[in-house]
Amino acid sequence: MTSEPTSGSGADPAQPGDPAGLDPAETLRMIQQQQEAARDATEPDGRLLFGAWGLAWLIGYLAMWITARDTGSPEVWAGWVLAGCIVGAVAFTVVHSVTKTAGLRGASARVGAMYGWTWFLAFTAYAVMLGAMGDAGASTEVQAIAANGFACLIVGLMYIAGGLLFEEVRMFAIGAWMLVTAVLAALVGMPNTYLVMAVAGGGGFLAMVAVEQVIRTRRRSPGPAQRTEGGGRGA
Amino acid sequence: MGGVPDGLDPVIHAPARLRVVASLAALGRGDEVAFPKLRKLLDMTAGNLSTHLRKLEDAGYVRVTKTHEGRMPATYLALTDTGRAAFADYQAALMDLLKGAQG
Repeated sequence: MTSEPTSGSGADPAQPGDPAGLDPAETLRMIQQQQEAARDATEPDGRLLFGAWGLAWLIGYLAMWITARDTGSPEVWAGWVLAGCIVGAVAFTVVHSVTKTAGLRGASARVGAMYGWTWFLAFTAYAVMLGAMGDAGASTEVQAIAANGFACLIVGLMYIAGGLLFEEVRMFAIGAWMLVTAVLAALVGMPNTYLVMAVAGGGGFLAMVAVEQVIRTRRRSPGPAQRTEGGGRGA
Repeated sequence: MGGVPDGLDPVIHAPARLRVVASLAALGRGDEVAFPKLRKLLDMTAGNLSTHLRKLEDAGYVRVTKTHEGRMPATYLALTDTGRAAFADYQAALMDLLKGAQG
Protein backbone atom coordinates (compact mmCIF):
# COMPACT_ATOMS: atom_id res chain seq x y z
CA MET A 1 0.00 0.00 0.00
CA THR A 2 2.76 2.41 -0.81
CA SER A 3 1.41 3.74 -4.07
CA GLU A 4 -1.04 6.55 -4.05
CA PRO A 5 -4.31 5.57 -5.73
CA THR A 6 -5.18 8.11 -8.35
CA SER A 7 -8.69 9.29 -8.84
CA GLY A 8 -10.33 12.31 -10.39
CA SER A 9 -10.07 14.31 -7.21
CA GLY A 10 -6.94 12.74 -5.85
CA ALA A 11 -4.17 14.22 -7.99
CA ASP A 12 -1.13 14.37 -5.74
CA PRO A 13 0.62 16.51 -4.78
CA ALA A 14 -0.16 19.15 -7.39
CA GLN A 15 -1.72 19.25 -10.78
CA PRO A 16 0.90 18.82 -13.46
CA GLY A 17 1.05 21.55 -16.03
CA ASP A 18 0.16 24.21 -13.50
CA PRO A 19 3.37 25.99 -12.61
CA ALA A 20 2.02 27.63 -9.48
CA GLY A 21 0.47 24.36 -8.36
CA LEU A 22 -2.85 26.00 -7.51
CA ASP A 23 -5.28 28.81 -7.84
CA PRO A 24 -5.77 30.14 -4.28
CA ALA A 25 -9.23 31.60 -4.95
CA GLU A 26 -10.42 28.36 -6.54
CA THR A 27 -8.99 26.29 -3.68
CA LEU A 28 -10.65 28.49 -1.04
CA ARG A 29 -13.93 28.17 -2.91
CA MET A 30 -13.54 24.39 -3.00
CA ILE A 31 -12.92 24.36 0.78
CA GLN A 32 -16.05 26.44 1.34
CA GLN A 33 -18.17 24.15 -0.83
CA GLN A 34 -16.83 21.04 0.86
CA GLN A 35 -17.60 22.45 4.30
CA GLU A 36 -21.12 23.42 3.21
CA ALA A 37 -21.64 19.87 1.94
CA ALA A 38 -20.31 18.47 5.23
CA ARG A 39 -22.70 20.63 7.26
CA ASP A 40 -25.62 19.70 5.00
CA ALA A 41 -24.86 16.03 5.58
CA THR A 42 -24.48 16.29 9.36
CA GLU A 43 -26.80 19.07 10.59
CA PRO A 44 -30.61 19.18 10.48
CA ASP A 45 -32.02 21.56 7.87
CA GLY A 46 -33.50 24.52 9.75
CA ARG A 47 -35.81 25.35 6.83
CA LEU A 48 -37.51 21.95 7.01
CA LEU A 49 -37.86 21.96 10.81
CA PHE A 50 -39.15 25.54 11.03
CA GLY A 51 -41.43 24.84 8.06
CA ALA A 52 -42.94 21.74 9.66
CA TRP A 53 -43.62 23.56 12.94
CA GLY A 54 -44.88 26.69 11.23
CA LEU A 55 -47.45 24.72 9.22
CA ALA A 56 -48.44 22.61 12.24
CA TRP A 57 -49.16 25.68 14.39
CA LEU A 58 -50.80 27.64 11.60
CA ILE A 59 -53.21 24.87 10.56
CA GLY A 60 -53.84 23.45 14.04
CA TYR A 61 -54.46 26.73 15.84
CA LEU A 62 -56.49 28.21 12.99
CA ALA A 63 -58.82 25.21 13.31
CA MET A 64 -59.09 25.92 17.04
CA TRP A 65 -59.73 29.63 16.47
CA ILE A 66 -62.35 29.17 13.74
CA THR A 67 -64.44 26.79 15.85
CA ALA A 68 -63.93 28.72 19.11
CA ARG A 69 -65.00 31.95 17.43
CA ASP A 70 -68.38 30.47 16.55
CA THR A 71 -69.26 28.65 19.75
CA GLY A 72 -67.03 30.16 22.44
CA SER A 73 -64.89 27.05 22.83
CA PRO A 74 -63.08 24.91 20.23
CA GLU A 75 -64.80 21.89 18.70
CA VAL A 76 -63.47 18.44 19.44
CA TRP A 77 -62.49 17.89 15.81
CA ALA A 78 -60.32 21.01 15.90
CA GLY A 79 -58.53 19.62 18.94
CA TRP A 80 -57.80 16.46 16.97
CA VAL A 81 -56.52 18.49 14.01
CA LEU A 82 -54.17 20.38 16.32
CA ALA A 83 -53.02 17.18 18.05
CA GLY A 84 -52.44 15.54 14.65
CA CYS A 85 -50.40 18.51 13.42
CA ILE A 86 -48.23 18.53 16.56
CA VAL A 87 -47.66 14.76 16.46
CA GLY A 88 -46.75 15.02 12.79
CA ALA A 89 -44.26 17.83 13.42
CA VAL A 90 -42.69 15.94 16.33
CA ALA A 91 -42.34 12.78 14.23
CA PHE A 92 -40.82 14.70 11.34
CA THR A 93 -38.38 16.52 13.64
CA VAL A 94 -37.22 13.31 15.32
CA VAL A 95 -36.82 11.35 12.07
CA HIS A 96 -35.06 14.21 10.26
CA SER A 97 -32.68 14.97 13.14
CA VAL A 98 -31.82 11.32 13.79
CA THR A 99 -31.21 10.70 10.07
CA LYS A 100 -28.95 13.73 9.68
CA THR A 101 -26.88 13.05 12.78
CA ALA A 102 -26.53 9.28 12.26
CA GLY A 103 -22.87 8.27 12.10
CA LEU A 104 -21.75 11.11 14.35
CA ARG A 105 -20.65 10.85 17.94
CA GLY A 106 -18.88 13.06 20.43
CA ALA A 107 -19.62 16.25 22.31
CA SER A 108 -22.25 17.64 19.90
CA ALA A 109 -24.13 14.33 19.77
CA ARG A 110 -24.31 14.20 23.58
CA VAL A 111 -25.49 17.80 23.85
CA GLY A 112 -27.99 17.25 21.03
CA ALA A 113 -29.45 14.16 22.71
CA MET A 114 -29.86 15.99 26.03
CA TYR A 115 -31.48 18.91 24.23
CA GLY A 116 -33.92 16.61 22.43
CA TRP A 117 -34.89 14.79 25.62
CA THR A 118 -35.44 18.09 27.42
CA TRP A 119 -38.14 19.00 24.88
CA PHE A 120 -39.82 15.68 25.57
CA LEU A 121 -39.59 16.06 29.36
CA ALA A 122 -40.81 19.66 29.33
CA PHE A 123 -43.92 18.88 27.28
CA THR A 124 -44.66 15.78 29.36
CA ALA A 125 -44.64 17.97 32.47
CA TYR A 126 -46.77 20.52 30.57
CA ALA A 127 -49.44 17.91 29.74
CA VAL A 128 -49.57 16.67 33.34
CA MET A 129 -49.90 20.24 34.68
CA LEU A 130 -52.72 21.08 32.28
CA GLY A 131 -54.51 17.87 33.21
CA ALA A 132 -54.20 18.71 36.89
CA MET A 133 -55.58 22.21 36.28
CA GLY A 134 -58.58 20.70 34.51
CA ASP A 135 -59.15 18.23 37.35
CA ALA A 136 -59.00 21.09 39.84
CA GLY A 137 -61.87 22.79 38.03
CA ALA A 138 -60.14 25.34 35.80
CA SER A 139 -62.57 26.83 33.30
CA THR A 140 -62.21 26.30 29.56
CA GLU A 141 -60.88 29.84 29.22
CA VAL A 142 -58.27 29.42 31.97
CA GLN A 143 -57.19 26.12 30.45
CA ALA A 144 -56.89 27.64 26.98
CA ILE A 145 -54.77 30.54 28.24
CA ALA A 146 -52.56 28.19 30.25
CA ALA A 147 -52.22 25.70 27.38
CA ASN A 148 -51.21 28.36 24.85
CA GLY A 149 -49.14 30.58 27.13
CA PHE A 150 -47.16 27.72 28.68
CA ALA A 151 -46.58 26.12 25.28
CA CYS A 152 -45.04 29.37 24.01
CA LEU A 153 -43.10 29.79 27.25
CA ILE A 154 -41.52 26.33 26.93
CA VAL A 155 -40.84 26.73 23.20
CA GLY A 156 -39.38 30.20 23.77
CA LEU A 157 -37.06 29.12 26.56
CA MET A 158 -36.00 25.96 24.70
CA TYR A 159 -35.08 27.97 21.60
CA ILE A 160 -33.18 30.46 23.73
CA ALA A 161 -31.35 27.53 25.37
CA GLY A 162 -30.59 26.17 21.89
CA GLY A 163 -29.29 29.56 20.83
CA LEU A 164 -26.91 29.55 23.80
CA LEU A 165 -25.87 25.90 23.33
CA PHE A 166 -25.26 25.98 19.60
CA GLU A 167 -24.28 29.67 19.44
CA GLU A 168 -27.10 30.34 16.98
CA VAL A 169 -28.39 33.90 17.15
CA ARG A 170 -31.39 32.97 14.99
CA MET A 171 -32.53 30.35 17.51
CA PHE A 172 -32.24 32.93 20.27
CA ALA A 173 -34.28 35.42 18.21
CA ILE A 174 -37.16 33.03 17.52
CA GLY A 175 -37.10 32.03 21.21
CA ALA A 176 -37.45 35.64 22.30
CA TRP A 177 -40.28 36.08 19.78
CA MET A 178 -42.06 33.05 21.27
CA LEU A 179 -41.95 34.68 24.71
CA VAL A 180 -43.62 37.74 23.16
CA THR A 181 -46.19 35.37 21.65
CA ALA A 182 -46.77 33.83 25.09
CA VAL A 183 -47.61 37.25 26.51
CA LEU A 184 -49.92 38.13 23.61
CA ALA A 185 -51.66 34.74 23.69
CA ALA A 186 -52.32 35.16 27.41
CA LEU A 187 -53.50 38.78 27.23
CA VAL A 188 -55.99 38.54 24.34
CA GLY A 189 -58.01 35.75 25.99
CA MET A 190 -60.58 33.55 24.25
CA PRO A 191 -61.00 32.95 21.38
CA ASN A 192 -58.27 35.15 19.91
CA THR A 193 -55.54 33.42 21.91
CA TYR A 194 -55.72 30.75 19.19
CA LEU A 195 -55.38 33.32 16.44
CA VAL A 196 -52.23 34.66 18.14
CA MET A 197 -50.84 31.12 18.28
CA ALA A 198 -51.52 30.58 14.57
CA VAL A 199 -50.33 33.94 13.26
CA ALA A 200 -47.58 35.04 15.68
CA GLY A 201 -46.43 31.53 16.63
CA GLY A 202 -46.86 29.65 13.35
CA GLY A 203 -46.06 32.78 11.36
CA GLY A 204 -42.88 33.27 13.41
CA PHE A 205 -41.66 29.80 12.48
CA LEU A 206 -42.52 30.36 8.82
CA ALA A 207 -40.65 33.68 8.84
CA MET A 208 -37.60 31.72 10.04
CA VAL A 209 -37.85 29.52 6.93
CA ALA A 210 -37.41 32.65 4.83
CA VAL A 211 -34.52 33.89 7.01
CA GLU A 212 -32.73 30.52 6.73
CA GLN A 213 -33.22 30.52 2.97
CA VAL A 214 -31.80 34.03 2.57
CA ILE A 215 -28.74 33.20 4.68
CA ARG A 216 -28.17 29.99 2.74
CA THR A 217 -28.40 31.71 -0.64
CA ARG A 218 -26.07 34.48 0.47
CA ARG A 219 -23.51 32.00 1.85
CA ARG A 220 -23.62 29.95 -1.33
CA SER A 221 -23.42 32.70 -3.89
CA PRO A 222 -20.13 32.35 -5.75
CA GLY A 223 -18.67 35.49 -4.30
CA PRO A 224 -15.17 36.47 -3.22
CA ALA A 225 -13.17 33.77 -1.49
CA GLN A 226 -12.79 35.97 1.58
CA ARG A 227 -16.03 34.43 2.83
CA THR A 228 -14.22 31.24 3.78
CA GLU A 229 -12.14 33.11 6.33
CA GLY A 230 -11.97 31.23 9.58
CA GLY A 231 -12.89 27.83 8.14
CA GLY A 232 -13.94 25.59 10.98
CA ARG A 233 -17.47 25.28 12.19
CA GLY A 234 -19.14 28.54 11.25
CA ALA A 235 -22.41 30.19 12.21
CA MET B 1 10.14 21.52 -4.87
CA GLY B 2 7.48 18.99 -5.88
CA GLY B 3 4.99 21.59 -7.06
CA VAL B 4 3.80 22.67 -3.61
CA PRO B 5 4.14 26.44 -3.23
CA ASP B 6 6.09 27.76 -0.26
CA GLY B 7 4.15 27.97 2.97
CA LEU B 8 1.56 25.36 1.99
CA ASP B 9 1.43 22.12 3.98
CA PRO B 10 2.05 19.30 1.46
CA VAL B 11 0.05 16.81 3.56
CA ILE B 12 -3.09 18.96 3.27
CA HIS B 13 -2.35 20.32 -0.19
CA ALA B 14 -3.38 17.18 -2.12
CA PRO B 15 -6.95 17.93 -3.26
CA ALA B 16 -8.43 14.70 -1.94
CA ARG B 17 -6.87 15.18 1.49
CA LEU B 18 -7.86 18.85 1.52
CA ARG B 19 -11.47 17.75 1.04
CA VAL B 20 -11.14 15.23 3.88
CA VAL B 21 -9.64 17.81 6.24
CA ALA B 22 -12.16 20.53 5.26
CA SER B 23 -15.05 18.12 5.93
CA LEU B 24 -13.71 17.05 9.32
CA ALA B 25 -13.05 20.70 10.24
CA ALA B 26 -16.74 21.44 9.62
CA LEU B 27 -17.61 19.16 12.54
CA GLY B 28 -17.55 20.54 16.06
CA ARG B 29 -14.37 20.18 18.09
CA GLY B 30 -14.52 16.80 19.82
CA ASP B 31 -16.95 15.29 17.29
CA GLU B 32 -16.28 12.14 15.31
CA VAL B 33 -17.80 10.84 12.09
CA ALA B 34 -18.21 7.20 11.06
CA PHE B 35 -16.13 6.04 8.09
CA PRO B 36 -19.12 5.17 5.83
CA LYS B 37 -20.72 8.57 6.40
CA LEU B 38 -17.47 10.38 5.56
CA ARG B 39 -16.95 8.17 2.51
CA LYS B 40 -20.45 8.94 1.24
CA LEU B 41 -20.00 12.66 1.88
CA LEU B 42 -16.72 12.74 -0.07
CA ASP B 43 -17.88 10.26 -2.72
CA MET B 44 -14.53 8.44 -2.64
CA THR B 45 -13.86 4.73 -2.79
CA ALA B 46 -13.19 3.08 0.57
CA GLY B 47 -9.63 2.17 -0.47
CA ASN B 48 -8.84 5.67 -1.68
CA LEU B 49 -10.22 7.28 1.48
CA SER B 50 -8.35 4.80 3.71
CA THR B 51 -5.07 5.64 2.03
CA HIS B 52 -5.54 9.37 2.49
CA LEU B 53 -6.69 8.91 6.09
CA ARG B 54 -3.56 6.89 6.85
CA LYS B 55 -1.35 9.71 5.59
CA LEU B 56 -3.30 12.22 7.66
CA GLU B 57 -3.08 9.94 10.68
CA ASP B 58 0.67 9.53 10.19
CA ALA B 59 1.01 13.32 10.15
CA GLY B 60 -0.93 13.52 13.42
CA TYR B 61 -3.79 15.44 11.81
CA VAL B 62 -6.53 12.81 12.06
CA ARG B 63 -7.45 10.51 14.93
CA VAL B 64 -8.75 7.09 13.88
CA THR B 65 -10.80 5.26 16.51
CA LYS B 66 -11.70 1.63 15.89
CA THR B 67 -14.58 0.32 17.96
CA HIS B 68 -17.54 -2.06 17.87
CA GLU B 69 -21.22 -1.26 17.60
CA GLY B 70 -22.94 -4.44 18.67
CA ARG B 71 -20.95 -7.02 16.72
CA MET B 72 -20.11 -4.75 13.83
CA PRO B 73 -16.68 -3.13 13.74
CA ALA B 74 -16.91 0.62 13.29
CA THR B 75 -14.28 3.27 12.56
CA TYR B 76 -14.64 6.90 13.62
CA LEU B 77 -12.59 9.80 12.34
CA ALA B 78 -11.88 13.17 13.88
CA LEU B 79 -9.52 16.05 13.25
CA THR B 80 -6.91 16.41 16.01
CA ASP B 81 -6.05 19.81 17.45
CA THR B 82 -2.84 19.63 15.41
CA GLY B 83 -4.88 18.94 12.28
CA ARG B 84 -7.26 21.80 13.03
CA ALA B 85 -4.31 24.18 13.48
CA ALA B 86 -2.65 22.91 10.28
CA PHE B 87 -5.89 23.48 8.35
CA ALA B 88 -6.19 27.02 9.75
CA ASP B 89 -2.56 27.69 8.76
CA TYR B 90 -3.22 26.28 5.28
CA GLN B 91 -6.21 28.58 4.79
CA ALA B 92 -4.23 31.56 6.09
CA ALA B 93 -1.42 30.75 3.63
CA LEU B 94 -3.95 30.60 0.78
CA MET B 95 -5.34 33.97 1.83
CA ASP B 96 -1.82 35.41 1.80
CA LEU B 97 -1.22 34.02 -1.69
CA LEU B 98 -4.52 35.49 -2.83
CA LYS B 99 -3.68 38.92 -1.41
CA GLY B 100 -0.22 38.70 -2.97
CA ALA B 101 -1.75 37.87 -6.35
CA GLN B 102 -4.22 40.74 -6.09
CA GLY B 103 -1.96 43.39 -4.63
